[in-house]
Amino acid sequence: MTDRARGQVPLLLIAAFVVATCGLIYELVAGTLASYLLGDSVTQFSTIIGTYLFSMGIGSYLSKYFKGNLIAWFIRIEILVGLVGGFSSCILYVLFEQLPYFRLLLYVLVSLTGILVGLEIPLLMRILQDRLKFKDLVSKVFTVDYIGALLASIVFPMVLIPYLGILRTSLLFGIFNVLVAGYLCFYFQKELIKSVFLKLYAAIAMVVLLIGFIVADQIIRFAEIQAYQDTILYAKSSPYQRIILTKSPSDMRLYLNGNLQFSSLDEYRYHESLVHPGLASLPNAKRVLILGGGDGLALREVLKYPQIESVTLVDLDPAMTSLFQSNAMLVKLNQSSLLSDKVTVINEDAFRWLHSTQAQFDFVIVDFPDPSNYSIGKLYTNSFYKSLSKVITPKGCAVVQSTSPFVARKSFWIINETIRSTGFQTKPYHCYIPSFGEWGFLLIWKNEFHPATTYPPGLRFINAEVFQQLTHFPPDMVEAHSEVNYLHNQALVNTFEKEWQEYTH
Amino acid sequence: MISRRKFIAQSLATVAAGSALTHLSSCDGKKIITGSTNGPNAALGHRLRNLTDQHPRKQIKKDVVIVGGGIAGLSAARILKKNNVDFTLLELEQHAGGNSSFRTNTLSAYPLGAHYLPLPNLDNHPLLDFLQEVGVITHYEKEIPQFNEHYLCFDPKERLYINEHWQEGLIPQNGVPSSDQQQIIRFLEQMEMWRHKLGRDQKYAFNIPVAESSSDSEILALDQISMDAWLKANQFTSTYLNWYVNYCCLDDFGSSTQHTSAWAGLHYFASRKGGKGFHLNHDAVLTWPEGNGWLMNRLREPVATHIQSQCLVTKVQIQNQKVSVVYFNELENQFEEIIAPKVIMATPQFINRYLLGDAARTDYGAFEYAPWMVANLTVNADLLEKRGEPLSWDNVVYGSNSLGYVNAMHQHLTSASPKKVITYYKPLSDYPYTASRQQLQKQTWENWLPLILEDLKRPHPQLKEHLEEVAVWHWGHGMISPKPGFMAGDVRRMAQSPIADKIFFAHSDLSGISIFEEAFYWGTKVANEMVSAS
Repeated sequence: MTDRARGQVPLLLIAAFVVATCGLIYELVAGTLASYLLGDSVTQFSTIIGTYLFSMGIGSYLSKYFKGNLIAWFIRIEILVGLVGGFSSCILYVLFEQLPYFRLLLYVLVSLTGILVGLEIPLLMRILQDRLKFKDLVSKVFTVDYIGALLASIVFPMVLIPYLGILRTSLLFGIFNVLVAGYLCFYFQKELIKSVFLKLYAAIAMVVLLIGFIVADQIIRFAEIQAYQDTILYAKSSPYQRIILTKSPSDMRLYLNGNLQFSSLDEYRYHESLVHPGLASLPNAKRVLILGGGDGLALREVLKYPQIESVTLVDLDPAMTSLFQSNAMLVKLNQSSLLSDKVTVINEDAFRWLHSTQAQFDFVIVDFPDPSNYSIGKLYTNSFYKSLSKVITPKGCAVVQSTSPFVARKSFWIINETIRSTGFQTKPYHCYIPSFGEWGFLLIWKNEFHPATTYPPGLRFINAEVFQQLTHFPPDMVEAHSEVNYLHNQALVNTFEKEWQEYTH
Repeated sequence: MISRRKFIAQSLATVAAGSALTHLSSCDGKKIITGSTNGPNAALGHRLRNLTDQHPRKQIKKDVVIVGGGIAGLSAARILKKNNVDFTLLELEQHAGGNSSFRTNTLSAYPLGAHYLPLPNLDNHPLLDFLQEVGVITHYEKEIPQFNEHYLCFDPKERLYINEHWQEGLIPQNGVPSSDQQQIIRFLEQMEMWRHKLGRDQKYAFNIPVAESSSDSEILALDQISMDAWLKANQFTSTYLNWYVNYCCLDDFGSSTQHTSAWAGLHYFASRKGGKGFHLNHDAVLTWPEGNGWLMNRLREPVATHIQSQCLVTKVQIQNQKVSVVYFNELENQFEEIIAPKVIMATPQFINRYLLGDAARTDYGAFEYAPWMVANLTVNADLLEKRGEPLSWDNVVYGSNSLGYVNAMHQHLTSASPKKVITYYKPLSDYPYTASRQQLQKQTWENWLPLILEDLKRPHPQLKEHLEEVAVWHWGHGMISPKPGFMAGDVRRMAQSPIADKIFFAHSDLSGISIFEEAFYWGTKVANEMVSAS
């Protein structure tokens, strides 16, 4: 054995160490991504680890068929591992929504990475066999292998995921693999026959991985857009929210921050139920206020009453109201409601506006997003309803969208209790909206309420008889003991979060 | 002790040094952060340096003069106003307010100092009456005050960054070993016991105002040792608990447990008898975007016409059975004098020692003040959040020697905007404070910026990228320090007593604790006594 060959031992052991670390990282990336995208982390991790280890066994078995210049083979495999492992997370992320057989892709990728990684150590051992005694060879290679695994398992959750994110982590370790390949190309120039080609491959792989590393954020954004089923018609980030509008041949859907706001197929159920039971009961109503509802769909229902003289619509986000004033398809959907002469659109925070206004309204529609954070939670507190009370005429009433009494039963009844604590009487009701599920509303008034006997013509869902039915609550949605939601306890946000989490997991 | 002449010379020097609002910016690459360093005493300008003639150009007569427009002075003014007394309040700064001062930028009002008031105890009638007067208490139900919900601190209130996670509340819990947790529980149980404990005189061991606390010598003996020593003596060894108690001492006194009297330390935990009011926890607090500046404004507005600002008082002495108050009026650029039968010194004792000249009569050296730095950071995007609880009102980093930051916009009713103003508090608690103070005076805006960023780096690694403006405020004499021996000693009592029934004293440092309630207590008490005597 030459001195040169003996001198190469530490370098090859370092290579084994890097290879082992990268190998475990790819396994963890696949497991994490699978639990993230598919849920049920125990199953995902368990099956991914099993598949991966099994594939490594296949790789080890296959290694005996590799003959000739083993160093060249090792370098080729390194480059391949770097590319496959490095891009595995990007591929999975982007294709998650696209493929019907996502699991198949997942396991194919995991197997492929596993086989390639499985090839590495046996090949490396064979390269080293002339340079070390067998007992030293086994002891040294496995030692660095296991140390690499330990390092990977510690840095992955503590450093890599928090600081780099999953995409960049796998790409970074792909880069490490290719770096090893590249370095070996130069170091073993003499032993390699056509090192130029190998160097070129390594360089190309390196560039591709680096580009991936740099544009990781754009990949995430791209994948996010893929998460919506249909064609994206419109996507915009306003200072307040991310607005996404999708379209399929039969349906149009609006998402705010990823949450479905309406589906054009069944939104009439929601908006008819929201508006008519209250407004039809007030034949003398002249002035209407809508808080939220920048899509103009509740407004469309309000304008079905010819006696209404003016409507004030307060929505925080000008991006929403102007979209629904200008986009032809949306204007068709809301029947140009936002362009009506009777309507004044005010883009301001509803709580602040309510606090400062002197105006009075016969009917108020409160149609805010669900109380999923403390900021929106303020709009469901007794303070808010006290301010609301001041703008409603003595004989007037209001309606409040109050989340799902089925999924978030306690939340629904907390809203009811909070409103009652400010001197209102309430009539809770609910209806089924296929794209949302079971949804709840609260009709609220200060002095008197006489249910409507006649509704405007041409409605597709609500009428006097249906409304009667909607006020019945089956046992699984019936009133739960509830506390009042104050600004200083925000009981609702905490309950709401818990209830939806339990439902969706 | 330095002479009054030297004191004036020194004030002038400080004033000259800090006179101009310095606009600064830090630019590295494309990111520009602007800001300024400022502090009290910065209002009076260079002109003063050239004035050697201190002879008053104008003399007026009043029934009462109040020197100092902090909470104590304004509280005294409130009582005098109610009783139609002819008085003037002289204030050094352009605006009254003292530690309750605030500023406003395009996003929000924000405090320069004190930012909250715990719910008052039910026996603190003068304070409860004031709160009802200004609408903080809306009404009483079964003798329990009902607070205006817009002023009660909204949820989420407090969070602590510990073990790389934001936990709810400030008492360390996340990842804390059970032996430490048990100590923390034992400590809180003891504090609960002290909260209800009565002295032999049947008064609460600890109460607010401090003057209403028991004078039982056994309880007062706690003042002889430091809070640190008390913790050790009671086998409270947990690092987590010790950090928490130290944090609390820094928060209320600006001093570490080593330099805080155990009596004062226990007072912090045991003096608040449980906020009363429906649906409220005992630790509920009242707060506003401008902090206690809101309360200060409610005190100030009714007496605004009596306030003469930008007046540096230089001499207070008894002459011909009356009191002469000499001051430099910046607006008129001249020295002036008011002659009044009675004067209320609503100034800290480290100022009084110079103003009173020969009439000064106690060991003013015992009054020590911890320096503070308060920085208001304008952040133009959501703070990059690590795992755990969302942005709360009070946000503290475990292990840091700052007090973390308060979201100044927490009490805004509007939806959360991504732009924010956060108020960062840092007491310079290294003893002796004179050295810390010198250090503070040398500290520039450029030095502070990296220190603040470093301190907040763990929870907010990308803070710098989102920072637009940093307004630094230096409080050279931020808070009176209740060091061991000070609370039960004679020095405080001597400084409290009036001189010849003509010069009266009202300031929170007379209580040994720098909180709104104490300042309010002294102003109200002294003015009431003055009114009822005449």
